[in-house]
Amino acid sequence: MSEQSKQQSSLLAWFDKRYPLISTWNKHVGEYYAPKNFNFWYFFGALALLVFVNQIVTGIWLTMSYKPSAAEAFNSIEYIMRDVNWGWLIRYMHSTGASAFFLVVYLHMMRGLLYGSYKEPRELVWILGMMLFLVLMAEAFMGYLLPWGQMSYWGAQVIISLFGAIPVIGPDLALWVRGDFVISDVTLNRFFALHVIALPLVLVILIFMHIVALHQVGSNNPDGVEIKKYKNDKGLPIDGIPFHPYYSVKDSMGAVFFMTLFALVIFYAPEGGGYFMEAPNFEPANPLKTPDHIAPVWYFTPFYAILRAIPDKFLGVVAMGGAIAVLFAMPWLDRCKVKSIRYRGLSFKILLTILVVSFVVLGWLGTQPATPELTKLAQIFTALYFMFFLVLPFTSVNEKTKPVPERVT
Amino acid sequence: MKQLLLILSFFMLSQSATVQAAAGYAITLESAQNNLRDQDSLKRGAILFSNYCMACHSLKYMRYNRIARNLGWDEDAIVAEMAYGQSTVVENVTTRMLPGVAMDVFGTEPPDLSLMSRLKGPDYIYSFLRGYEQDETGAWDNHLLKGTVMPNVLEGIQRHENEEEYAQAARDITNFLEYVGEPSKMERLDLGWKVIAFLLVLLLLAYLLKREYWKDIKH
Repeated sequence: MSEQSKQQSSLLAWFDKRYPLISTWNKHVGEYYAPKNFNFWYFFGALALLVFVNQIVTGIWLTMSYKPSAAEAFNSIEYIMRDVNWGWLIRYMHSTGASAFFLVVYLHMMRGLLYGSYKEPRELVWILGMMLFLVLMAEAFMGYLLPWGQMSYWGAQVIISLFGAIPVIGPDLALWVRGDFVISDVTLNRFFALHVIALPLVLVILIFMHIVALHQVGSNNPDGVEIKKYKNDKGLPIDGIPFHPYYSVKDSMGAVFFMTLFALVIFYAPEGGGYFMEAPNFEPANPLKTPDHIAPVWYFTPFYAILRAIPDKFLGVVAMGGAIAVLFAMPWLDRCKVKSIRYRGLSFKILLTILVVSFVVLGWLGTQPATPELTKLAQIFTALYFMFFLVLPFTSVNEKTKPVPERVT
Repeated sequence: MKQLLLILSFFMLSQSATVQAAAGYAITLESAQNNLRDQDSLKRGAILFSNYCMACHSLKYMRYNRIARNLGWDEDAIVAEMAYGQSTVVENVTTRMLPGVAMDVFGTEPPDLSLMSRLKGPDYIYSFLRGYEQDETGAWDNHLLKGTVMPNVLEGIQRHENEEEYAQAARDITNFLEYVGEPSKMERLDLGWKVIAFLLVLLLLAYLLKREYWKDIKH
């Protein structure tokens, strides 16, 4: 051993004696055994983490030049876009990152549905993930107000007015959230505080818990079998491989692939065809002028379509909340013992297809003006969306499943 | 691979939907066919903007020295040609109209045009500039925005020069306004492919590294 490495190892020993460095690394990275049969769908968790880091880092730099006031917010964004060195790049990375975040999170959730990752013993992993999704929606919603454009302003106005639909306490609640009778400087300031400090902090804690909970029970896989069932003489799962180096190199590859697509959008379509950045948001917020057509950003449109589909405002709010809340119950609504869709019966495959199709169609409908025909369509697909959760508990009990292999294939 | 195509098609879908979204209004726009790389057109557009637009409109987010730098223009020259020496080169492009005059004359404030190209798109600006029609009584109106109080500013060019020159003038102004909407756009387009080329090389290396490590994993 050279003099230098001796010194290093003694420093490490000194540190490890006072902090569980090596054991933590081993538990979560070096000796965390993950199934060897992860497929394409298993990239999205790591990618979500990557996008989160991107949002935090670019967010810190944006905060250095952004001014959270109704008078200056819009101007300061243009200042970032024009006068701050690389400001345009940092801002596009952040705005595109918001859309990318939802894209990877939706695919990450889809993976969970496909392979039954929410089932026993991973219910808590799923619930923590759903909480992350909920907080992420709040984070994105509040962030969207900050540029103080027309769509920022009126989008927030519409969504916060929904609180007003709640019986008895509604109007006061909406007033309390806004801090004013309309969206104003006060609202912008508190949204800024929540967007840059409170909610990111909650996200960090939830991400930490999500990962710790996952590592406690171990990862699921596309076959939905437990790798801990078969262990070798050292007590290690036969079908498991250490996360590092195997999945760290694989996820790095996935990360670079993702970054390539991400760069493509940032440099060649930062507005995402009007879906990532909406054109009306290039006009400063004007409380006296309502835009012709108010549409939320694409990642909220499925829920927005459900809201508009219900004729009664309060029931619409309930349906929209319910569409998200019902996902929390997935571990108990799905009563089939088989996890992976590979070995599940036809009924689940049909139901899941209906869910995904309804979600996508509702997403499209949410971007469109609410004509009578489209509203009818939104009602049909809202019904189909909820049908999944209503029917699943009954069909999943007696599902005709295929034999599940003992080990991963 | 299938999933991969799915994601790619998602992006392409969102692209094709743009066109629909832009055509949401029941109007057809003429294609501006402007070229941001044409520096002569941008310079002509800047001077036309100064002569035909700045009497009422401003570009409050745009500085003269930034225009000079991006368009390869001398700093003294731009102040002389665009601002007639009335502004310093570090100042933003302001309107020549005195405050309050527009309200008295037109009953409205002319909008700042810094971001008009991002709000409406270059084709809209081009079509709007060329959208004026005269009725029997001789009154002008714009078929894209009925009842606008903005006069047909290019009327002189429309009357006294040929169609090609008239179109070119509108195109140059549009080109300049698209540049003003996002002054870093050319830098963005020029940098993008280099970043992507780098990432593709990195992707190859990451793939080879992954393949090397995964050799000993039997499926």
